Amino acid sequence: MKERILSRIHRALEPRLKAELPAPLTPTQVSPDEALKLFRERLSGNGGEVVRLAGLEEAKSWLAEFVRAFSGVAIGSTLPDPLKPPLPALPPEEAPLGVSWALGAVAETGSVIVGSAEGRRHQLLPPTHLAFVPQHRVFGTLAEALTELKGQLPSAIALHSGPSKSADIGQVMVRGVHGPGRLIAAIIAWEG
Amino acid sequence: MRVALFVTCLADQFLAEAGVAAVKLLRHLGVEVEFPPAQTCCGQPAYNAGYWNEARQMAAHTLGVFEDAEYVVLPSGSCTAMVRSFYPELYRDMPRKFSKAEALSRKTYELAEFIVKVLGVSTLGLGLEGQRIAYHHGCHALRELGIKDEPLTLLANAGASLVPWEAAIECCGFGGLFSVKLPEVSLSMADRKLSTLPEVDVLTSADGGCLLHLSGRIAHRRLNVAVKPLASVLWEAAQKTPEVDAHAG
Amino acid sequence: MQVKANDYPKESARLLREEPQVRESVTGATLNFDRNRRAAYAEVGAEAWRDWAERVKNHVLTHLDSYLEQAERALIANGVQVHWAEDAEQAQRIVAEVARAAGVKKVVKAKSMLSEELGINPMLSSMGIETLETDLGEYIIQLLDQPPSHIVGPAIHLGLEQIRALFHQRFGTPPDATPDALAGVARKLLREGFLQADMGISGGNFLVAETGTLALIENEGNIRLSTSVPRIHLALVGIEKLLPRFSDLAVFLSLTARAATGQRLGTFVSLLHGPRQASEPDGPEAVHVVFVDNGRSAVLADPEAWETLRCVRCGACLNACPVYRQTGGHAYGYVYSGPIGAVLAPGLVGLEETQPLPYASSLCGACYEVCPVKIPIPKLLLAWRQRAVEENLTPRLEKAAIQGYAWAMTQPWAYRLAAKALRLLPEKALDNTVVPVLKAWVEGRAGLKPSPKSFRELWEEGL
Repeated sequence: MKERILSRIHRALEPRLKAELPAPLTPTQVSPDEALKLFRERLSGNGGEVVRLAGLEEAKSWLAEFVRAFSGVAIGSTLPDPLKPPLPALPPEEAPLGVSWALGAVAETGSVIVGSAEGRRHQLLPPTHLAFVPQHRVFGTLAEALTELKGQLPSAIALHSGPSKSADIGQVMVRGVHGPGRLIAAIIAWEG
Repeated sequence: MRVALFVTCLADQFLAEAGVAAVKLLRHLGVEVEFPPAQTCCGQPAYNAGYWNEARQMAAHTLGVFEDAEYVVLPSGSCTAMVRSFYPELYRDMPRKFSKAEALSRKTYELAEFIVKVLGVSTLGLGLEGQRIAYHHGCHALRELGIKDEPLTLLANAGASLVPWEAAIECCGFGGLFSVKLPEVSLSMADRKLSTLPEVDVLTSADGGCLLHLSGRIAHRRLNVAVKPLASVLWEAAQKTPEVDAHAG
Repeated sequence: MQVKANDYPKESARLLREEPQVRESVTGATLNFDRNRRAAYAEVGAEAWRDWAERVKNHVLTHLDSYLEQAERALIANGVQVHWAEDAEQAQRIVAEVARAAGVKKVVKAKSMLSEELGINPMLSSMGIETLETDLGEYIIQLLDQPPSHIVGPAIHLGLEQIRALFHQRFGTPPDATPDALAGVARKLLREGFLQADMGISGGNFLVAETGTLALIENEGNIRLSTSVPRIHLALVGIEKLLPRFSDLAVFLSLTARAATGQRLGTFVSLLHGPRQASEPDGPEAVHVVFVDNGRSAVLADPEAWETLRCVRCGACLNACPVYRQTGGHAYGYVYSGPIGAVLAPGLVGLEETQPLPYASSLCGACYEVCPVKIPIPKLLLAWRQRAVEENLTPRLEKAAIQGYAWAMTQPWAYRLAAKALRLLPEKALDNTVVPVLKAWVEGRAGLKPSPKSFRELWEEGL
């Protein structure tokens, strides 16, 4: 099967002029300060929420306040200890909240980048998804982020650019169809 | 400056007033107009339906008719596109014919485009003051030839109020043979176009086929919209002016 | 799948006559998509992106054999099992074998047009495997036993009322339930599906040869779930979906999202590299990629139609197409509808079975204007029409009429005579006519009235 397909392709291409591969498109540069501002603007525009936390202490007190609305949590396996919410652990399919330690974020698209090294289910099954993003990992552009990620590719990387949504029911936008209906990106000035 | 008018078969038979207006307008702008009598149809219906041999027959005839013209001007966007864009396409594998087609292509213009681009005239007169006009962009003029601002400039500078129209650049559903091969879809497209038409005094376009289709639909549905070819509207614009400073020469 | 494209003329007319709501829904949805696309293109000056994307795809396609081999090597290195399917039958057999070997009883589907093309669902049903479409739109049309009507929005032909009625009848929701409530019902059912399924089947938006990355774009999260939760993930990937470099994703992901829905990126993008790694807490134990030809290599050999293989299945041409807008996709009778379907179908399944599709266009050019990879659709429509003429697939009467017309138009005297005859016809002759062409004209338009005198007569009389 493979050989037959490849030989058909080979024959098909014989008379065809070969096209050159163009150099990668160079994206517009975004400075780190701009990136933080743009990320907030873009993710909020997509219906996500952005919190900025000046350091670990502020993160802890914010988190203590934030988790009061939740009865339990499912966390990613790489979440640093100080950021573990003071909540009972629940399986992802039962937890009202999932917490991730993100690989980074993309400003121009308003995306949080999460990886499979910490697991996947807690990113998808709970109705609220909180992702801590180390501030130095907020990339200006998708191109920069991909360059950075390429060195180490886990079985899955995902970009989440807002809450799950669909307009398949009569063109009316519905949130939280299958994945989380709420996405909070907590940018933290701390390296974990 | 001499212009050979390619009136197009549709205008010749069904919109003669557009041809007359085009002649008067060009003369008014100081251009000498000739009408090569052997001209017929550019061949677009055959080209669009896939009958390229037949299209070539008509193209060859037309190439001969206009070979010696200094400029060829048509009061029709889609026929202009046929001559300018698709004749070379028809002959892409026939070098001799191709260079003839290219030569004709280079000197062929749609009327409004010719006035603005070649004659350098953007104000014809103030004959359209107070008129509310909706302009339909024929698809070939717009997307194939990139003619968008020329007719609008001429209309606006003549005092017309160009009424914004949500569907101004959407296809009206004519599409030549398309209109009779798939009549229900074609009419449905016209209805979509007309359903968004604001209240105006005149609906105009550089494309006669579109206008016949739209006005036919308007009459059938007993709507109350006056439809006029762009050439007629532009001639109306020019009539209320003592003199135009034309850079014709 | 069954192709009923030859019914397009009848089916499009029937839809307009009997189901006017389809036109309403499709018009609303496509105009909205197209408006959003325009804004998203403007934001980045998409022209340069489109040129670049076209060149990258042309490069891949003209080196497709070596890129496929490179992709296979990368996939295998990532622990993915790679299969090759020449046609639908082989693809079905591969999926069946994977399912059988792993004792699969339940499958969740993550929106794949290719699986529609290959007839995967009916095949799974025939094996007694329960198959659940998990994209909300796909799920709705699965309940109705309909195929998707749009590449990206499978259910855009349905209005809210119809979906309400469907859910009321199936699940007993109130007849005036909100979209949120309806989605909630579907979510519950589908959530069970994700947790119980043994296998998730997806398509693939892109496959990067360099890294073996399978990229998937979505808004709901169902693709992430289908490819993460079940123990097996199987991806059906058309051989034309390759990209050379990991970095190419930056533009292609964003360009596709902008073209499709006007977003800067799909809400969820998955970049998948294989099964769960030893250190990872969860994820599929096995990942399979099936490279599918199913007519694509034949299209690649076509000196004109090969350009259709650049298609990234964004649906922008459907959204921009005023013809598609009138009927939606079902009238086309083929899995890919609209302008791209009209030029893909003849290449993938043959012109004879799809002959009306290249004519389902007024050649307005809006599709080419929006295509993110600049497929010259109007040109290709004309190419297929030419071939229809060459292969004698056009109506004999039409052919004779065009030939007669062309002859008359090269004889000025004949042209004059015809013009005279036109004016000698009795009043109304052009209104109530038996000539099919004129009949079709006057069935919704006022009759054509020749100018009292032709322009040429007026010219000769002296203007």
